[in-house]
Amino acid sequence: MKKINIIFTVLSIVLLSSCEGFLDVKPSNSAPAETSITSAKDAAVVINGLMSKMASSNYYGRNFFMYGDAKGGDFAIRSQGRGLDALYVFNHSASSNSYSGFWSQMYHCILQANNLLVNIEKMETAGLGSTELSDYKGQALTARALIYFDMVRLYGKPYNMDKASYGVPLVLVPLDAAEQPTRSSVEEVYTQILKDLTDAEPLLSKSVKGGYLNYYANLAIQSRVYLTMDRFSDALSAAEEVITSPKYSLYANDKWVQSWSNEFGSESIFEIAMYLDENDLGSGSLGYYLLRLAKIKNAMGWFMASDYYLARLNEDPTDVRWGIMDYDESSNTRFGSCLKYSGVDLLGDKSSPSAVNVKVIRLSEIYLIAAEAALRQTTPDKVKASNYLNAIRKRSPGLALSTSSDVTLDMIIDEKSKELFAEGQRYFDMIRLNRSIEFNDEFIFPAVQITHRTKTIDRTFPKAILPLPVSETDANPAIKNQQNPGY
Amino acid sequence: MKKSILIVLSVLLVNIGWAQMRVTGTVTSSDDGSPVPYATILVKGVRGAGANTDLEGKYTLNNVPNDATLVISYIGYRSQEILVNGRSVIDIVISPDALNLDEVMVVAYGTSTKGTFTGAASMVKQESIKDMPSLSFENALNGKVAGMQITTLSGQAGSTSSIRVRGIGSMTASNEPLYVIDGVPVVSGSSGQMSGYLYTSNNAMSTLNPSDIESITVLKDAAASSLYGSRAANGVIVITTKRGKLGKAKVNFKASVGMTPEFATDNFEVATPEQQVELYYENFWNAGVYHPTSPKTPAVASASALAQLNKRFNKHGYTFTAPDHTVNSLTIGGDRAGTFFDWEKELFRTAVFQTYDLSVSGATDASNYYTSLSYTKDQGRSIINDFDRITGRVNLTQKVGKSVEFTTNINVAKSNKTGFNDTRSTGANYFLQSRNLLWPLYWPTDYVTGNPWTARYGSYAYNPVYYNNEWENFSKTLRISANEAVTIKILPELTFKSILSYDNSQSKDHIYYSANHFNGSGVNGSVTEMGTDVEKLVSSTTLNYNKTFMKKHTVGVLLGWEAEDNDASFIRASGTNLPTGALHTVATAGKLDASAYYWGSTMLSLLSRVEYNFDNKYYVSGSFRRDGSSKLGPQTRWGNFWSVAGSWRIDKEEFMKEVDLISSLRLRGSYGVNGTLPPDNYGWRSLTSYGNKYMELPGGGVNTIADANLSWEKNFTTNIALEFGLFDQRLTGTVEYFNRDSKDLLQKVPISQITGFATTLKNIGEINNRGIEIEIGGEIISRDDLKWNASFTTSMVKSKVTKLYSGQDIIWYDPTGGDSRAKYIYREGESTLALFGLEWAGVDDETGKNLWFLNNDKPSTITVDGRPATFRYQDATEKIIGDIHPKLFGGLNTDLTWKGLSLSLGFTYRLGGYSYDAAGRDINDDGYYWERIMSKDAYDNRWTPENKSATYPMRIAIDLEDVNQRSSRHMHSSDYLRLKSLTIGYNLPKNIVSKANISNARIYFNGMNLWTLAAYKVYDPEVSEYGTRGWELPIGKTYTFGVEFSF
Repeated sequence: MKKINIIFTVLSIVLLSSCEGFLDVKPSNSAPAETSITSAKDAAVVINGLMSKMASSNYYGRNFFMYGDAKGGDFAIRSQGRGLDALYVFNHSASSNSYSGFWSQMYHCILQANNLLVNIEKMETAGLGSTELSDYKGQALTARALIYFDMVRLYGKPYNMDKASYGVPLVLVPLDAAEQPTRSSVEEVYTQILKDLTDAEPLLSKSVKGGYLNYYANLAIQSRVYLTMDRFSDALSAAEEVITSPKYSLYANDKWVQSWSNEFGSESIFEIAMYLDENDLGSGSLGYYLLRLAKIKNAMGWFMASDYYLARLNEDPTDVRWGIMDYDESSNTRFGSCLKYSGVDLLGDKSSPSAVNVKVIRLSEIYLIAAEAALRQTTPDKVKASNYLNAIRKRSPGLALSTSSDVTLDMIIDEKSKELFAEGQRYFDMIRLNRSIEFNDEFIFPAVQITHRTKTIDRTFPKAILPLPVSETDANPAIKNQQNPGY
Repeated sequence: MKKSILIVLSVLLVNIGWAQMRVTGTVTSSDDGSPVPYATILVKGVRGAGANTDLEGKYTLNNVPNDATLVISYIGYRSQEILVNGRSVIDIVISPDALNLDEVMVVAYGTSTKGTFTGAASMVKQESIKDMPSLSFENALNGKVAGMQITTLSGQAGSTSSIRVRGIGSMTASNEPLYVIDGVPVVSGSSGQMSGYLYTSNNAMSTLNPSDIESITVLKDAAASSLYGSRAANGVIVITTKRGKLGKAKVNFKASVGMTPEFATDNFEVATPEQQVELYYENFWNAGVYHPTSPKTPAVASASALAQLNKRFNKHGYTFTAPDHTVNSLTIGGDRAGTFFDWEKELFRTAVFQTYDLSVSGATDASNYYTSLSYTKDQGRSIINDFDRITGRVNLTQKVGKSVEFTTNINVAKSNKTGFNDTRSTGANYFLQSRNLLWPLYWPTDYVTGNPWTARYGSYAYNPVYYNNEWENFSKTLRISANEAVTIKILPELTFKSILSYDNSQSKDHIYYSANHFNGSGVNGSVTEMGTDVEKLVSSTTLNYNKTFMKKHTVGVLLGWEAEDNDASFIRASGTNLPTGALHTVATAGKLDASAYYWGSTMLSLLSRVEYNFDNKYYVSGSFRRDGSSKLGPQTRWGNFWSVAGSWRIDKEEFMKEVDLISSLRLRGSYGVNGTLPPDNYGWRSLTSYGNKYMELPGGGVNTIADANLSWEKNFTTNIALEFGLFDQRLTGTVEYFNRDSKDLLQKVPISQITGFATTLKNIGEINNRGIEIEIGGEIISRDDLKWNASFTTSMVKSKVTKLYSGQDIIWYDPTGGDSRAKYIYREGESTLALFGLEWAGVDDETGKNLWFLNNDKPSTITVDGRPATFRYQDATEKIIGDIHPKLFGGLNTDLTWKGLSLSLGFTYRLGGYSYDAAGRDINDDGYYWERIMSKDAYDNRWTPENKSATYPMRIAIDLEDVNQRSSRHMHSSDYLRLKSLTIGYNLPKNIVSKANISNARIYFNGMNLWTLAAYKVYDPEVSEYGTRGWELPIGKTYTFGVEFSF
């Protein structure tokens, strides 16, 4: 009996004394969110996380570029049903092919930026601010601006078409799970984008750090945003500051093709890194999406250049940009397959045809923005426009350079198409400029019928912007009445 | 001659009145013919006259009046009275009594008897499950317990089943019951990490050999289960493993072989090759001729359709022509014309299930042992699905001195499973491939070169004949469970018991893709090894006091505490860029990647129970448990769970003595609270995770949005039951009513994605499950040589959402298979499995287009059945379209025994609910997936100008998304009646087997799923717990032959 009493006592003591300790169990691969950002080092980890999340297939890793090209008329498909062809045929509804991944992934990235910003402010209030920390703050603000800029173009009407219409919900702090925000106007979103960009500008480091946003990336984004808002002189001055910086330079003609086999080249202003075992999408990568059918195993021949693009590039058969093109499945003389994301030798920029960095902003684009802005500003500067255009146009040695007397917007836009093919730009330019887009449906073989759009569309077509996904309208009834018209 | 003399003699002796004699004999069990030791034989009406059987079941009674009546009794067996009639040798066969009220039942933290237990519990014994060819016991329980639904998602060998006791008590926190083996909660569910790579499950319960199970008790109401507190809301399954029986050592050997040559029902049967070609042609022909804006001539449309066919199949040796530009002249030519490849035959085989069991058991007054060894091999129907298992068990009880007893139960199991993708995956699910992707016009070899066909066929189908050899996977699991218990009788009425249990499951998963495989080509081959180590340590100590005062007052008190520690650690090593196809190891890889982490949860509990009964007539009991769990935040982690219950043995009342018809009658009722824990270990913490490496630097971000005040789900359960026995217990039954209010339900509720997340875990609302369960059993014929029993269970459960705290409907998707295959809504007042979607209005007779009921106020010119409709699904509004829950479900079991021959039938049924067809969009797709093969159902019932009153629309290749909408089109009645199990057994006559020194020999045949009557015949009506049928492998018809010997 005595022995048993002793056992009881010992057990009770063990039980009572260690209760709360015993019940406090923490995971080994995650940290409590509220205490996970308390130093500049923590902030660096979150910036890495944010860049990595932006490299998701739902965003810059693949789909955002595919969206910008598949819908812009420069791409064509050979066969339906291979993948992402709903982007091309505009077969979207709120419940089918809504590409809800854009919506969820972009807001997830915005949350990361907001969370970092809130925590940096806490540290700064506590007197723990530093230049390093300010730089991270600048990166977070710039990233947030870029994401909102991309979102408002996916879901809202063009700024110069109807800026009072619905944009996207603006969220600047981490939200409680119960919150159900509604849409702000396109104009409000642009106002916030500019505020974030200008707030960030003085905070950012001017040094070049591959894989991250810096001061010049911020300016480059500003020039894109201003151009989209038709604020041409602002676009021009932002672009020129980048152009004049000695930190970036255009590729010489003989280096241009090779530049697609290197990471962080001299034109790279913002480049998202795709490394093996990180965001490598393997056979689902951007690179594979553009390869010829069976070029390598699992290459499905998803998207090829349209006849229109090929004709444009063929204005000069000696154009250096042919160097990145490969023939496609339709014939061995039709060079419709683009190797920008797999490298000409299929070794990419780090010996992989799929783990290849995504060049989000290149200096070439900034030159063309500058050219367009110079041409279209209230007092056009055709000399500048022509010079900036020629810096890129010289990549077609067989074509005469432009002059201040013959430079036109069409020349600039055509040059942009040639230079930035498969870089997610074409559709947004066409929409911004209110041009009609013609699709090379004849390339589909054997011919099929497309019923979701006509052969030619323009920005008045309701499906020119995406529907809010049904997952959002189901969980957030207040936004249901703000669905884009036509869906 | 001798006999008649004896009779004459006895008559004479009787007449004298004092004639006495000696009677001897053997008592055996009708069950297996084995001797029954320690059975009691009494001489009726003679005080002190009686004996027990010895270890060989033999007895001797002296001085027995030759007209006496012997009463033979043994616990768990039906008592028998036998007239001596002057016989001196009387061999007695006694039969087990499943309906005996004194039957011992294992319940929470102890045992009770059927007649005195105040809670709701059902017991299933070994006998009724032992002949089923089953890796795990769950399937064998189907239809045997009222209120319990067992669903098997997949027919893959080794996959998990899900069990629902009394409806749905939770939204996404687990609905699975708690499993308790020999007094200790154990790890259940799927083990290992393979599910992250392949959609396949590895049932942790299959490490328990079903032959080792003595009984299974399902605890259903609060009174029965509240002692398990925070994990008991979904019921508790208490499993007791076998012990030795007093008597000499018994050796039992059992072997069986089962074969599954075919599926139990049709499952999306495909159209013939010619019909498939016709459908393909028609798809494109229609897209031209019936084009909505720019119709083409038949000649143009036909040319386009033929171009599609030729493009796809020329390379496989087929050509196509249609001289009159219509399907009527469509002809398949080419070198391979007339021959087709049978993929189904190639990818499926007759499954073979073999199991061998050997057990040795026995007991003396001081010790009791049961040991077993078993081997099972299950080769599934799919050619790459295998499972094998070795288990060994030692159960040992040893008394030390008068009051101390030690019990050790050790189970070791090792299993190895090779699985395959069990979802809507085009790459590696042979079921989907053979019925949706692999045209019989595709061949595994190139018809020109004869080499293996390695290119993609189309629609992401690959040649499985070639690629099968280019990848492999297996999951090896080693499970060790050890319980050590010490029981000390401190006083005759006070017992101390302490159990320490260690349950460890180690899984090793391996998956390899060669550089030739389409999954490994990009990285030049890949191999991944994963180790998962799950440990559960439980220490449970109880004090039990039982005493009867003044003969009529019996009091029982239980007091205890328990601590539980769960740890899971994971390790993964993977390599790519492999030097050779011969070595499938990480060590040889050119590039390595690794990860390792662990997590866990803990729980502390105090528990108590008080029971009182007066004169074995009135029973009351109460229980209380307090649990603290690490899965909840410091503010909410402690919860109290309790129950009160009472029962009344009406049959013991004076006024019932006169009613001969009723042999037993009892009313019982209970009320109590128990709970469910969140599914996630850290659901209450908002976490930053570090899974976002960037440029070889660590990267992280917030990855959950948590509610720190997350609390237990609580179930408030009322239970009222009437138990009765009629005609001397030949007809018994229970009618039970229950009402379960579940509050603070946890769910990963979809939230506005603007927050950065798609879901959050929250306490979101309340649901109510209530229903009636009926169990009726009867002995229809009960003669010595012919017995016929039947039992029937039925349940009616209503499961409704009663309150949503946010006031807002919650829309959610079936989590099965990861393809969001069906959409449901939680709405106050509606079912917990309310299908939500568009309401399909069928097909327009004239145009063959889909029609949709508008269900809104939009203007419409079309009506169907007088209701506004539209051709555009985008204009229609979603609504609740049906309820998955059946109105009625249960089983019917019957046993017929004639001499050594027995026949058992087990039926299950389900009536008045729906199932949702998640594969219909693939095999009957209105022309959406041009390159896929269609079902026979799609071919037979589609719209054509000749078949205008068709069920399904015109097949037209214009990307119609109608079929992809979650709608009532894919909803079908799930009514069915199935002969789940049929067993014929034969006990070889004793006089034959005893010559071979065998005490009992039995041969049997078992058939599983042999016959099914289903309202909807396109697929197997036994669907997942969410009521959906996707691309999981269906179950088959299994024919098993077995032999069983005991020595």
